Amino acid sequence: MTSQVPLVVAIVLSGSLLAEAGGEVYTPGQKLNKDFDGFARPFLVQHCVDCHGDTDPEGNLSLHDLGPVDEVNSGTWKSVWAQVTLKEMPPKDMDQPEVVQRLQFSDWIVGELKRVMHDKGGFHAHLDPNKGNFVDHELLFGKLPEGIQLVPTSSPARIWRVTPQEHITRLNELINREKEFDPEKPGLRTHGDVVPTNHGGELKLYFGTDRIIKWQGGTVAYATAVKSVPAVLSSHRDHGLENYPDFYTVNSAEATQIMGIANDIIRYMAEGPLSIAEPYQISDDIRSVMDRWDGDIRGLPTSLVYSTQVMRPLTPVYDLMKEEEVTDERLRAAVDYLFEALTFRPPQQWESDQYLGIVKQSIDKLGKEDGAVLGLSSIFLDRDALFRPELAQKGEPDQYGRVVLQDWELGLAVNHALRYIKPDETLRKAIVEGRMRTREDVKREVERMLADDSIRKPRILRFFRDYFDYDLGGYICKDGKALADTGVSNRGQAHYRAMFDGTASTDRLVELILAEDKDVLKRLLTTDQVVATERDNIYFGTRRTREEVRASMAAAKKAEEERKAKEAAELEAWKKANPGKKPPKPKKKPRVDINHKVTPVDLTGPPIYARVSRRSFGRGSMQPERVLAKAPEGQRLGILTHPSWLVSHSDAMDNHAIRRGRWIRERLLGGGIPDVPITVDAMLPDEPEHTLRERMRVTRETYCWSCHKKMDPLGLPFEMYNHSGIYRELELEKPVDTTGKIIDSGDPSLDGKVANALEMIEKLAESERVEQVFVRHAFRFWIGRNETLNDAPVLQDAYRAYKENGGSMNAMLLSLLTSDAFLYRTRTEQALAESNAAKN
Amino acid sequence: MLNRRTMLRHMAAGAGAAFSLPLLPNQLMASPTSNSTPKRIIFFLQNQGFDPLTCIPDGMTTSGSLAKANLPEPISALEPYKERLHIINGLHGVHTSPSHSAFFGALGGYRGGDGVPPSASTIDYELSKVLPETLLPHLCIGMDSIENMTTKPTLATLSASGAGQPIFMYSNPNHLYQMLYGGISSGDIRRQHEARSNVLNQVEQFAFNKGRALPAADKQRYGQYVQGFKDVNGLRDRLDTVADHLRKFAPKVDERYTKPQFETDWHDVLLDLGISALTSGITNTLTIASGRGEIFGAWKGLGIQQQGHNLGHMDQPDNPIWVKIRQYNSRMLVKIMETLESVPEGSGTMMDHTLIVYTSNNADKQHTSGANWPVMLLGNFDGAFKTGCFTQLQGKRPINSLYTSLLRASGVDCDRFNMSEQLAKKFDDGNGPLKEVLA
Repeated sequence: MTSQVPLVVAIVLSGSLLAEAGGEVYTPGQKLNKDFDGFARPFLVQHCVDCHGDTDPEGNLSLHDLGPVDEVNSGTWKSVWAQVTLKEMPPKDMDQPEVVQRLQFSDWIVGELKRVMHDKGGFHAHLDPNKGNFVDHELLFGKLPEGIQLVPTSSPARIWRVTPQEHITRLNELINREKEFDPEKPGLRTHGDVVPTNHGGELKLYFGTDRIIKWQGGTVAYATAVKSVPAVLSSHRDHGLENYPDFYTVNSAEATQIMGIANDIIRYMAEGPLSIAEPYQISDDIRSVMDRWDGDIRGLPTSLVYSTQVMRPLTPVYDLMKEEEVTDERLRAAVDYLFEALTFRPPQQWESDQYLGIVKQSIDKLGKEDGAVLGLSSIFLDRDALFRPELAQKGEPDQYGRVVLQDWELGLAVNHALRYIKPDETLRKAIVEGRMRTREDVKREVERMLADDSIRKPRILRFFRDYFDYDLGGYICKDGKALADTGVSNRGQAHYRAMFDGTASTDRLVELILAEDKDVLKRLLTTDQVVATERDNIYFGTRRTREEVRASMAAAKKAEEERKAKEAAELEAWKKANPGKKPPKPKKKPRVDINHKVTPVDLTGPPIYARVSRRSFGRGSMQPERVLAKAPEGQRLGILTHPSWLVSHSDAMDNHAIRRGRWIRERLLGGGIPDVPITVDAMLPDEPEHTLRERMRVTRETYCWSCHKKMDPLGLPFEMYNHSGIYRELELEKPVDTTGKIIDSGDPSLDGKVANALEMIEKLAESERVEQVFVRHAFRFWIGRNETLNDAPVLQDAYRAYKENGGSMNAMLLSLLTSDAFLYRTRTEQALAESNAAKN
Repeated sequence: MLNRRTMLRHMAAGAGAAFSLPLLPNQLMASPTSNSTPKRIIFFLQNQGFDPLTCIPDGMTTSGSLAKANLPEPISALEPYKERLHIINGLHGVHTSPSHSAFFGALGGYRGGDGVPPSASTIDYELSKVLPETLLPHLCIGMDSIENMTTKPTLATLSASGAGQPIFMYSNPNHLYQMLYGGISSGDIRRQHEARSNVLNQVEQFAFNKGRALPAADKQRYGQYVQGFKDVNGLRDRLDTVADHLRKFAPKVDERYTKPQFETDWHDVLLDLGISALTSGITNTLTIASGRGEIFGAWKGLGIQQQGHNLGHMDQPDNPIWVKIRQYNSRMLVKIMETLESVPEGSGTMMDHTLIVYTSNNADKQHTSGANWPVMLLGNFDGAFKTGCFTQLQGKRPINSLYTSLLRASGVDCDRFNMSEQLAKKFDDGNGPLKEVLA
């Protein structure tokens, strides 16, 4: 990334050379003037070829004849890069390269791979967040060895495509008015929160559901009858950070769809439910509408009744469309309003003129109504409605080639760090008045926003979802029988709905801990609190043994027999008392829904709310009611032991110990795992009579174990839960083995055996290194890229802020958002020249 | 990351119509002199289930020829075509959760449900990628009640280009006509076509202008955004340049488009448009969703007053309502075959290189476990499929194995479609394509 700044490098290099007269100074990101023959080959010969020679090479990998990087051998070089960068190679018992030498070798490979693969799809692996930990933790947080000189950091100038959720939330602002924040019920979804996924996990924009007062049929009929559109922007990532600026673009199918949706939105902005319903359906006299229902019309748009109360925001688009006469003033007001609503900034004059022109032309062609709708829909496709620019075109570069973001770019960057909707009035005013240009300006606004609960900050919650990955449980498709074996209901969508509810519950728990803002990570890892629905009494329960199940069934049978006997006796008594009379109908058998497989817990506590989707599914909508309870002691500890996280890290049939272990290794210990070699056919044997731990013996083969030893022993302690997240003491009717081991953590005090997940979590939660790794992930999320060594001061400052303020997320966030990495952008020379040419 | 090919595939994904690489007009058509044989595939999914008793000839319990059998009343319209027909009974889709519709899972072969986003691409999309390239590799049309088609003219419930990437189907024939034949239209459609073209051309120009000053690293990514508009506009231009050719295939717009008496008027013209997209060579893959993958739908034009969910609660065999719906489907299938047969291609006709897959997104009925998922194939796809027969399977192979067979017949070397080995252990007692259906 920083190789894009040759000017900077030249300045630093000359300074460094002066400073180090004679000795070689390494500056991260500096372009290396080294070649294969003079640098890389000697490295390979000295450190690799002994074991990876031409005869009987280790791991069947020969490097003795590996030539300069080219398209054909790029895969091998990528592996070499990963192994050397992660200090996997050379093996620990062999001579190690000097720190600088290793860094240079790693940089050289990346540089060569980028060069060689430039026109073949490029080389981007080092930019992927999954490779963020490839930067040595000790170098970031420890003392730098001599010979390394850092340059002041910055991030590249760039554009970020909005995420599907941001996009839907932005569009939702146009047609739905959300409730204002209620301090009495802080957990309820309000204005500024995201549009959440619905009962099935689908992200949709709903039209007019706040006005529906009656419908025919059940929940499925309602869901079919209401108007909704799904998110059209794509998002491919399910684990980890979902949105670096360079992940996504918008393709033509998406653009076409956005135009279609724009059409629907503009019409709804203008006419409300009239754009999706017949006039007679809009009435407060429900009966009068029902009288017009002709038979079974379930699932049809005409099966809905809308109230007459206007709920949507009435905007200049409404003003434009309601009047027959078209005036320039109304047209421009509509254009400018939509532009700002969609891009979060007012249009410049030329932008306003441009869209005004399109709208007028369209009206000329199609008449006012259709023309205005078509013309205005083009604004939905403006670059800045889909991408957020951080181009830093204004401002002079400092001596390192860095430019501070300012005005709208800085204001929107700060806004986007916390929010999905447009800047509030105070921030907008600051931007307009030229008070968003400095570090102090950012500090002022961030502090203000963090202190105000009514300013919703869904991006912070998004970070915790990305970091923990606890929001995937509802998307893990479970085998019906395997699911039933865990003890939870496998009827219909019950389990999946429980999982989506669980995600919302965990969201709320995260928020409660954030509200206190003390030892945030430690508390998330070790809290005994649970935000729960009634169903969680099962999910947080204990799987019964076979004997217990039998006993439960016998008890139920006995109770039923007793009930029947009592009923018969009562009947007999009645007959005796009323001879010759017809006995009354027997009472309806009470419905008993006993789960014999699970001993439930009794999760009780004060009522609270979780942020779930608004009425999107009629009576089947998700319910916000929750209780704040305590989890069973000795069985649960923090959100890694909650079903939402556990199921998110499971598969159709069983737990996913490898994925869980990988999570601990990467997200808590800061370790890196090289990609699975393509020659590996990663499959565990299908042996239902064996435990997962036993089946994972295949990963202990030498070739696999070098990586799996970093993951498996960290994931297996979670075997104390089955794959629905229910606590268990037996597996296949034998005591479950929950032991594990922390190795090579980078913190010797952590290394060693653990008896179960709780012991492991307790250890990890005390670790300074774990907190630092958490800060590294926060950096990636808010800065939008992987850290480099040059970011070490930013990371150290952020960690210090977190620590010195008692584990405060807000303090860490303030530090990150006022750091050079957040404030400064570096533009390439070429782009600068083109930008200047464009301006001229 | 994203390259041009992926991008084109993404484009194919979302629109229910995809825009492909520029082609010369003469490549648009299925030219007799062309070296690669054009092939095309049509998926026809009727909602609410496909009861096997409505398609299996009386007394047929084991696999065998249909030559001497009489097709049941609901599909009797196919009698003259039964040498092209292959009725398959005994596939399963229990892993797709098909009660009340498997939604994306029906063509994806994975768990689906109401409100559940697609977890992977669907077979129609995958085939559209590998079949000989056309201007719009994939077109989806959906038929529903008139109110639903008017209020929600596009909907995505059945096809997907990947996880979380639904493909929209067209339900308003006026919109679809404008997209396909705007260039040769007149009157209102023409005006709308021109206005939309004008807007999109300008949007492309704006997008281009705002990309000029981007950093090099972002240029390629943003370039794809701009390229998207170029493709949209390019497709329109290319369709315009082959207007004379298209004119021969474009249906005539009549009052059924603008003033439909029943929803079936729109169903009929949507079918006409879909067929014309095939015969004109605009597309190679057509997905038809009667009932749009949901559990409602209306067919008042057939004299059926009941609509929606209740239809699914009725037994289908010998039910006059379901006989009418299935007969209507069958007539549509006949229309497709007759039309394709009338267009010469290679040494035969278009139909020789075509396959129609007829089934339901609900397996055999509305409330079903998916233990049986009847399918009818029509056509032999250039000799790839057996025809004129009934095949009884034992419920041990999933619909995914049929989809694997389709991919194999299209030249893709694969053993499974959207099914991991782990799932296959539970849900598939075989591997690779269905031997019983491939010639």
